[in-house]
Amino acid sequence: MDQYTYQEFNRTIYRQRLANGLLVQLLPMPGFHKTYATFSTDFGSIDNQFIPYHEEGAVTVPDGVAHFLEHKMFEKADHDAFDLFGKLGADSNAYTSFTQTSYLFSTTSHLRENLDVLLDFVQDPYFTDKTVAKEQGIIGQEIQMYDDDADWRLYLGLIGNLYPHDPMRIDIAGTVDSISKITPQILMQSYRTFYQPSNMNLFLVGNLDPAETMEWVIDNQNGKDFPTPETPRRLTKLNDPTAHDVIPFRSLTMNIARPKVMVGLRGIKQFEDGRERLRYKLAVDLLLDVLFDDTSDNYLRLYNNEVLDDSFGYNFEMQRGFHFAYFSSNTDQMERFADEIVAILESADKQIDAARTRFAGIKNAELGRLIGLLDSPEAIANRYADKLFDGANLMDEIRLLKEISIEDLYRVAKEFITPQGISVYQVVPHHQ
Amino acid sequence: MHFNLARGVDLDVLPTKQFKMNHVLINFTTPQTRTNATARNLLANLLETSTHRYPTQTALARQLAKLYGAYVGMGVGRVGQLHTVRLRATFVNDQIADTNLFDQVVDLINEILFHPLIDQNEFDGPTFRIQANNLKSSIMSLYDDKQFYANRQLMKLYYPEDSAMRIPSFGQVSDLAGLTAQNLVPVYQQMIENDKVNILVLGDVDPEKIRATFAQLPFDGRSVAPLVPYYRQSLYQDVQRATEHQSVVQAKLNLGYRLPVYYHDRNYYAGLVFNGLFGGTPYSKLFTNVREKASLAYYATSRLLPFSGFLGIQTGIRAQDAAKVEELIGQQLADLVAGKFSFQELSEVQDSLINQYRASHDYANNILGRQLLTTLLDLPEDRDVAAKINAVTAADVQRVAAELKLQATYLLSGEK
Repeated sequence: MDQYTYQEFNRTIYRQRLANGLLVQLLPMPGFHKTYATFSTDFGSIDNQFIPYHEEGAVTVPDGVAHFLEHKMFEKADHDAFDLFGKLGADSNAYTSFTQTSYLFSTTSHLRENLDVLLDFVQDPYFTDKTVAKEQGIIGQEIQMYDDDADWRLYLGLIGNLYPHDPMRIDIAGTVDSISKITPQILMQSYRTFYQPSNMNLFLVGNLDPAETMEWVIDNQNGKDFPTPETPRRLTKLNDPTAHDVIPFRSLTMNIARPKVMVGLRGIKQFEDGRERLRYKLAVDLLLDVLFDDTSDNYLRLYNNEVLDDSFGYNFEMQRGFHFAYFSSNTDQMERFADEIVAILESADKQIDAARTRFAGIKNAELGRLIGLLDSPEAIANRYADKLFDGANLMDEIRLLKEISIEDLYRVAKEFITPQGISVYQVVPHHQ
Repeated sequence: MHFNLARGVDLDVLPTKQFKMNHVLINFTTPQTRTNATARNLLANLLETSTHRYPTQTALARQLAKLYGAYVGMGVGRVGQLHTVRLRATFVNDQIADTNLFDQVVDLINEILFHPLIDQNEFDGPTFRIQANNLKSSIMSLYDDKQFYANRQLMKLYYPEDSAMRIPSFGQVSDLAGLTAQNLVPVYQQMIENDKVNILVLGDVDPEKIRATFAQLPFDGRSVAPLVPYYRQSLYQDVQRATEHQSVVQAKLNLGYRLPVYYHDRNYYAGLVFNGLFGGTPYSKLFTNVREKASLAYYATSRLLPFSGFLGIQTGIRAQDAAKVEELIGQQLADLVAGKFSFQELSEVQDSLINQYRASHDYANNILGRQLLTTLLDLPEDRDVAAKINAVTAADVQRVAAELKLQATYLLSGEK
């Protein structure tokens, strides 16, 4: 078991890669009552084309398989894993993103038993025609519910503009139509390919004793047989890596009171190295703060002109193989909002010049936000992105952030902001 | 550690080494009326936007960025019949910041609370206009969330026309027209001079130093009439029912019950366990029987409001299933009254509540929220919570279940 100490935060993380390839990381947080555990696979909604485990030919699976699989993992022949956690006084849950599926629990007692339940239910697939059919109904409802959510439609609509021919344009849960094509065989094929221990990681944070906990994990894994590891062979490629396929504008009418608008910016840079990718992400985060945060003159001007309001927000998403930023607000001036955001992005260099005196404050503020996350076991575990950032955890991120200089911002602005990557999506009330 | 800084102004310091961040909560309490919620919300928005020393939100934001990105914000809430304005501050502790950040943040809090942008007895005009507009927009946007909207409509059905409980703590758009940069000044003065004030501090701090720091804030003593959070209302003869049609894909069916169980009264823990069994946990009847077994709902949850004597159910369903769902919910309640639940179900819910309670000690906001209620309502320190939850028997649950009276149902349907 390796250990890395972060003196400045009085924290130590323990790491071990087990014989079966599973990466285990343990972060004790003295004084905390709960233990939070995530068991994650590097498999998400965009991974819909691949060569299945120990096969030769490629397959394309229906949209929504990763999420469907996540739902179905809990159900077994004679019980539901969810109830096992319940009997042990723990809360459990799971979620699926574009590129990752995570199973988790949080408990203040029976840590070992809960840990066994987590490892066992995720490593024991059970899919039948009957259970698949029932789940199609439940997930169908879930998808429909999101149809009424204007903010979700805005976000998904924008991603559809940015990646019009790529799998991320589809809701992570798939569509009512696509999930109707899912079968137990498809689930099993995906499971065998992506749920190998060597494609997964286990992260425990909070109230725990590292030596004892690591032993429990090893004991559990030693009691099982796993097939020979094989690196998953994904075939999903961007339709147009240069982003010339971006749809510049679309809008949707909905039953809402105030118009919503979102501007998106798709980046095209690709990364070989996880740390390089993280450094880029942190620099872009700071760049966006410089351009748009509430200490900027841009923000005050647009706020005072009621081009944006307190609902204004922006975010940068870095995923495996793609990244984009988005800027959104409720506003009665949708066109002006989009024009202003684009104009600011396109004059990024000048904006950075003007922000030289603010940069230290902005970076300090970002550091303060990340340090705040150190008080949250959930944030630490959920933020961990494994291979994407070459195993960097929140403490590594804070250290890396400290190294970012204003010169890095000029560099990433040049790489990130390209005219073909810009797009706008609106959700407009019926009566307009 | 408790200190009285002035009459009606209390300070509670909770020192701990658990967190890297310090947390400050300053809570202003007064009875809610039919008109003060909107005004106080707008006031909170104005106060957190600018001050005399930091006359624009940008100036204030830049100061906060300098303080290691400290968060200082204001908002409103309610405790039953009481309305609260809250200032929250969260910032890196002095040990990590390696400077006297705490003092600097309190200095900024002093600015925000005692030096607002008021000149010649009125708030700064442009700021007032924008904040009033923004508040209007943000209230309107809340109602775009159909689940939120349906819940508000249920509350309107449940509470009588003349009850202040009908008005949400964040206020209502129709009140905004009557508010001006002038008439908000007495609202401010009233709050700062007459509200009950509770200051709570959590973090790696020295209580005596904290007391000395907060003693410098110019709070005057005030006499506060006893504050009564608990709300009671008489029964309607008939269930209040409403159906509304909008173009929504998923229908919402919400039910409101009267349940006279109050925070820390003798039935409180029985009420919590009952709610856990009914719809408050994933091990509940609503979750397992309505959502999972019958696949009739995407969500089906219940929530106990322990200052309002109210229990609400929210569901997301297909409109054509509304009658079936209501019947099935009634059946779940009848089963609980009749004691049709296993020892296993009961103990799972108890374990889950105990797990939640223990885990809540890892969230600064939960610790502060609980301590605020204890000190504000002058309740004894709540000890042995796990034992109290475990002491709830099946008979206790049945007794509480039998007290529920259905009072209102609201259906938001996409079908005509």
